[in-house]
Parts: sequence; structure tokens; C-alpha cells
Amino acid sequence: MERIEPGEMVRRLTGFIRTEGRFDSVAIENFRKMPGGASREIWSFDCAMERGGETSRRAMVLRRDPGAHNISTSRRHEFMVIRAAFEERIPVPEVFWVSEDPAVLGSAFFIMERIDGETLARRLLRDDTYARAREVMPAQLAEILAKIHRIDPVKHKLDFLAQPGDNAALSEVKRYEETFRFLALEPHPAFELAFRWLLKRVPKTPRKTLVHGDYRIGNVVFGPEGVRSILDWELAHLGDPMEDVGWMCVRAWRFGNDQKPVGGLGSREDFFHAYEKASGVAVDPEAARFWEVFGNLRWGIITISQARTHIDGFVKSVELASIGRRTAETELELLNLIE
Amino acid sequence: MQDRPTSVELLEAAADFVDREVVPAIEGARQFHARVVANVMRIVAREIKLEDPLVRSEVKALARLLGHDAPHLHSLDDLRAAAAGMGEELTAKIRAGEADEGARRGEVLAVVRQSVEDKLRIANPRYLESDIAIRNANKEI
Repeated sequence: MERIEPGEMVRRLTGFIRTEGRFDSVAIENFRKMPGGASREIWSFDCAMERGGETSRRAMVLRRDPGAHNISTSRRHEFMVIRAAFEERIPVPEVFWVSEDPAVLGSAFFIMERIDGETLARRLLRDDTYARAREVMPAQLAEILAKIHRIDPVKHKLDFLAQPGDNAALSEVKRYEETFRFLALEPHPAFELAFRWLLKRVPKTPRKTLVHGDYRIGNVVFGPEGVRSILDWELAHLGDPMEDVGWMCVRAWRFGNDQKPVGGLGSREDFFHAYEKASGVAVDPEAARFWEVFGNLRWGIITISQARTHIDGFVKSVELASIGRRTAETELELLNLIE
Repeated sequence: MQDRPTSVELLEAAADFVDREVVPAIEGARQFHARVVANVMRIVAREIKLEDPLVRSEVKALARLLGHDAPHLHSLDDLRAAAAGMGEELTAKIRAGEADEGARRGEVLAVVRQSVEDKLRIANPRYLESDIAIRNANKEI
């Protein structure tokens, strides 16, 4: 990928926004790279846009692909899913423009509203500032999730989303097994045991909905009062809504707060109950458990994928490299769950 | 024969410098990556200390589980290759359904758990300790 200095990025971005928004002039300030984002670069900036003598100002972020990836997704699709969620009054950033033309910034990107707040899950779980947020967030997250699962893909023209086939659970397991067999460099008997366990317990899936695909506290902007915004919709797809419920319970998102399985914040029972109340649909604990095991396995496969992104030289990064040694954490949790 | 400090001492000195001097002096994405760097150096230091005894016991356990004679291997490369080879053999058996149920499942799970715990002794010993503490607490209840 073409390497573009921040000053040059600002120059090109200014031109892009002026053209896309049909502005007379655009000024970008405070352009800086945000921490985190192992798979996407996030840049923050303030944008002043002038048209016909009137100036508007917005706090914005740019989400950009850092380069080629093992698991690649479309920026335009993510943009459209967030727009659908915004129209359904789900707390998400307002999205402005998208481009998949590498001539603009070297790789695909989109621009959205910057929501002020905290995203570091460790702060949520430890700081006194967020004591109230810790209380209210499990129920808020369950209610928002119920709303996400009610988004109508036809109404919002999300027909590009992959269809899950006859059984969403079975096709997800098969899809990740294929990825795993393609990427893994060493034998992983713990993952093999987990695949066997899952294949024997594939739930029947009466519901098919939009699935966020990466619903966890690390993808939530929050303040002392609770949830402000849901981020990272790049893995949205059609499938079993219980997939999101199980993913919320994956151990890696507890950051050591293991007595509270749902993101280190609350119990499974309370979360399921709040979801049932908001959606009117009962949570089958067996199906939720299936998806929790699947979620841990999926995170384990993602750690392998992120390490390969470094090993194969797509993106050289000490963070991606170090994630390769986190695979064993998910293997241990899987053994705990299936023994 | 190399002079002191040993490789482990050198790595630990470098990791301490990153943690104490570099991390507090920078912020944002760089600070996060500096923490990752220190952590990676500590992983490598633990691997230098622990890999040899751990891979030896892993090879023994896998050979016993798979019904092979314990191989007499000395070099670390040979031990790693033996562990990987028997790991492949074990995954093939699991995929064929050999560990789906019964006493065999318990035997396989015990050996796999030991291998996974040995990886964590190098990659993240704190995670392993807290996992063991949680499991013991659950047993008491």
C-alpha cells in the first residue's frame, strides 16, 4: 500500500470532502491517529465546511483499512449498515461519506461523526467515574441489541449481506473451520475438540435477523451515564441473533473480571432477561451456550488470523505479532467450557 | 560460551527500561505499543528459560497418549518437531471422533489441557494463575 504522510492525507481529505459535500471550502484541524484498532486505522479530526457563506463544524473520524487482510470486508457495506442503524434510532455515529477508491487515501475508508466518550473497556471495569455506567450498561446493551435484531434488511436495502443458508449456526461453524484450516500453522487439538462439540450441538434456528457480528464492550463508546454509541459494524451479516448474545459472553471481553461473564459487567441470566423483555423473544440457554463456545473459538481463530497478517507481511506490527501468543488463552477457556 | 549477562538478563533489563522509562514518557497509540513491546520481551525471556523442560514433558505425554515409545531426543529442534508431529496425529484422531466420549475423552482432554497450560506458562502466566484460582473457587462451591 502507498504510504501517505499525515500532511498529505489532510490535503487529499480536504479535497475529497469539498467534492463529496459540494462545499466552497473545507478546513481540517487536529488531524491525529487514534490508539488501538488492530485491524483498522482510526484518525480523528475537526472539520469546518463552508457553502454559500455559511460555515458548519463537525467532529469527525476517518476509518481506513491499513492494507490487505486475511479477513477482508467492504467499507461501503459497513457504511450502509451503520446508516440503517442510525435511521432506526440505534445509538451509532452519523455516517457522512465513503470511498473505496485507492487513489484517494491509498485504501478504502469512510468518514463519520466523532462521538466523544471512552472506549477502553478496562477503564469501564475499573474507574470510579464509571460506577453508574457499570450498573446500567448490561440492560442498555440488551435493549440496543434487541433493536439491532429488528432492523429490516429489505427496507434498508442491505441485500448485499451474506445469506446464512438453511442453518446459520452450521454455516458459521463451517465457515470458521475453513478459515482455521487455511490459516493455522500448528496443530490446535483444543480447537478440534471445540469443533466436534459444536457440530453435535448445532441449534435449530427459528429466527433469522441482522446480526451485528462484533457486539462486545470494546466496540461501545460510553460515558459516566452509560452507552453513547455502538461501533464497528464491519462484520454485520444475516444469521441467528443468538450469535451476538453468545459473543457478548466471550471471556476475552471480561478483562479479568471473570465473575461477571457478560463483558465483565453482569450475569448471563440478567442479560438474557433484559434481552427477552426488550425483544419479546425467549433466549434458549443451550443456544446461547453454543454461541458462547463458538464465540471463544472464533476469537481464537481471529488471533491466528491477526498473527498471520503480521507473519505473512501484509501489515508488520508488534501488536498483531503478539496476539499470536494469545491463542492459548482461548484454548484454555474452550476446554473449561466443553469438559 | 557467552559472557554474562545471559540472554534472559539482557531481555529483562530491556523490558524494564521500556516499562519504566519509555511508557511514562509517551502517550496514545505509541504508549500502547511500547507496553506490547515490553510484554513481548518478557514472553521471550520466559520461553528461553522454560521451553526445553516443557517441550520434553509434552513429547512424553503425547507419546504415552498415542501409544508410542517415548522417543530419545536431545536437541530442541527435534523435540519441537516431535511435538508438532504427534500434535497432528492427535488432531486427526479427534477429527475422526476418537475423543467424543468415554474414558478416552478424559485422557485426551487431560493431555490437551496440559499442553495449553504449558503455552500459557510462557505467553501469559497471570492468566493461567487466575484461571486456576477461579476453577478452585468453583469446586469449593
